[in-house]
Amino acid sequence: MSWLTLALMTTSSVASLRAAPTMAVYGLAAVFLYVLPAIVFLMPTALVSAELASGWNGGVYRWVSEGLSKPLGFLAVWCQFAMTIFYYPSLLAYVASTIAYVINPSLASNGPYTAIVIIVLYWSGVWVSSRGTGAVAGLSSWGLVIGTLVPGTLLVVLGMVFLGQGNPSAAPMTASNIFPQWTGLASLVLIVNNFLSYSGMEMNAVHVSSLRNPAREFPRSMFTASGLVLLIFILPALAISWVVPSSQLSLTAGVMQAFDSFFQYFHIGWLTPVIAVALVVASLGGMLTWLAGPSKGLLLISRQEGYLPPFLQRLNKHGIQQNILVTQGVVTTVIALAYALLPNVSSAYWIFSVITTQVYLIVYLLMFLAAIRLRRTQPDHPRGYRAPALVLTCVTGFVASAAAMAIGFVPSSQFGNGSVWVYIAIVGGGLLLLGVIIPYLFLRLRKPSWRMPEESGTEGAVA
Amino acid sequence: MSSSTSAGPGPDASDPATEARERTRGGLMGSQHRWIYLGSIVVLVAMLVIGLLSFTQVHATNEAYRKASQLSDALQAAGYPVPSQDQIVRTLGTDGGAVCSDPADALVQAQWKYGMSNGAAGPGQRPVLSDRQVVQGEAIVLSVYCPDKLADIQDKIDDFDLRDTVRD
Repeated sequence: MSWLTLALMTTSSVASLRAAPTMAVYGLAAVFLYVLPAIVFLMPTALVSAELASGWNGGVYRWVSEGLSKPLGFLAVWCQFAMTIFYYPSLLAYVASTIAYVINPSLASNGPYTAIVIIVLYWSGVWVSSRGTGAVAGLSSWGLVIGTLVPGTLLVVLGMVFLGQGNPSAAPMTASNIFPQWTGLASLVLIVNNFLSYSGMEMNAVHVSSLRNPAREFPRSMFTASGLVLLIFILPALAISWVVPSSQLSLTAGVMQAFDSFFQYFHIGWLTPVIAVALVVASLGGMLTWLAGPSKGLLLISRQEGYLPPFLQRLNKHGIQQNILVTQGVVTTVIALAYALLPNVSSAYWIFSVITTQVYLIVYLLMFLAAIRLRRTQPDHPRGYRAPALVLTCVTGFVASAAAMAIGFVPSSQFGNGSVWVYIAIVGGGLLLLGVIIPYLFLRLRKPSWRMPEESGTEGAVA
Repeated sequence: MSSSTSAGPGPDASDPATEARERTRGGLMGSQHRWIYLGSIVVLVAMLVIGLLSFTQVHATNEAYRKASQLSDALQAAGYPVPSQDQIVRTLGTDGGAVCSDPADALVQAQWKYGMSNGAAGPGQRPVLSDRQVVQGEAIVLSVYCPDKLADIQDKIDDFDLRDTVRD
């Protein structure tokens, strides 16, 4: 795998045009809403994971295992893995509704249609992932180019044409609009929650050993991906805000409707289905990277330490953790069917997204602590890249992650006027169950006979 | 674990022939994953063709302009900025388009609620305290274009804790 392919995979797992209309509503303030989190969260994540990956193969589990302890390493990779299970159904339901938008919008509210789309696309993804990292790398890279970079460039070019024609920007672009409206807690929730826009930047470090010269190439890949992610998030959102007034974006209340408004202005409405297909392609490319990454990390540490039963540690002929993928697939399918077919589940699904992002933040807290400790305990360990001001960088990233976790306990709009304590109990209970109790049970129930360290020489195995 | 067991990754010392083979395999169509790539391209093109053939653009009619004017008045009365008539017509047509397509359905509601979120496009997507305009604007559209459907979700809209986070 080349460093550029890994950069594209990383970008594909984090960025897409899907968020552009949502942030276009904020006009010029969208820049602030992406740049501040980039400074306090993206840069620390990129710098720290670049240093760690250039010294230790294997991803977060290896970094946390070496820096803190093996059980905490398992906790880190478990949290990364568990988070994805709840990510797929909502992502694929979005894909289903996007496809429906161009074929027949009424399908979007059809449970069986949505369930079928989720299952077919998800299991196709499992099949592709089981063919090896090469297949995932190729599809996700091309998914990013076809589904994000090309349409994103088109949006930006059209936006510039719009301004070049002498039209005033729909969103004011003056200095006074650079900061979002300050309304106290609501604005704080918006700003701090946006730190999570960059979550996942470290995930593909698990593939670092697929690079020819990981020590040099991974940092390069990380910095390229960081730049691309910033551009993909900011420029298309700005372009949309130039052309479509925020009030109209509000009216349409949907990603595809927003793109439709944009293209209708230029009288090229036929491009709406094209961008819908592009968004589908990009989403599926991103899904593939998430299928391939965390489950691989989980396999590697499980083989070394016997955290999972032998059945889940089996590999297929391509060296892929097929049984973990299939087991994950069964769980995801059940959740997806519940999401698509049970009204109460689908309506409450947003709360799972809060719980799983809370769980995911544990990964970052552990990663930043491990990085500081590794500099102290293994200062002479060869690293291809050394992050500048590591302690300051890690403290910044740690505080940002902790702030994002704290703000996750503030009830969102969807919770309405319900009791704050009930909300805290639901989110805290979910965090405890998914991020503490389940991984503790795995650790508690493991058996020495489950260890297979000599067989951990899978694709991209640890050094 | 000691550092001796954790040697960092280093360059692979593969021979040029192996590297050349790997490069060939890495090419899109020359790779061992050829059928996956070809299959993906076929599905992609099929989706594009179906999308282009079936996508119907909103046509500007007198009825569409009448509804747009009605919506403008409603927005103005509610104190919201008013987009141009043409833009409203192009987006909502005569029937409200996708906005009016079964808004009370559980799946649509779930996606709608899930969409009131931060700027993440990946698994970092989580809900925020959403802007009032985003939700109330949709309610106004429903009241003009499909008032019978507004009643089904009015209580849900009333339940949202909304704030003013977007500058007017």
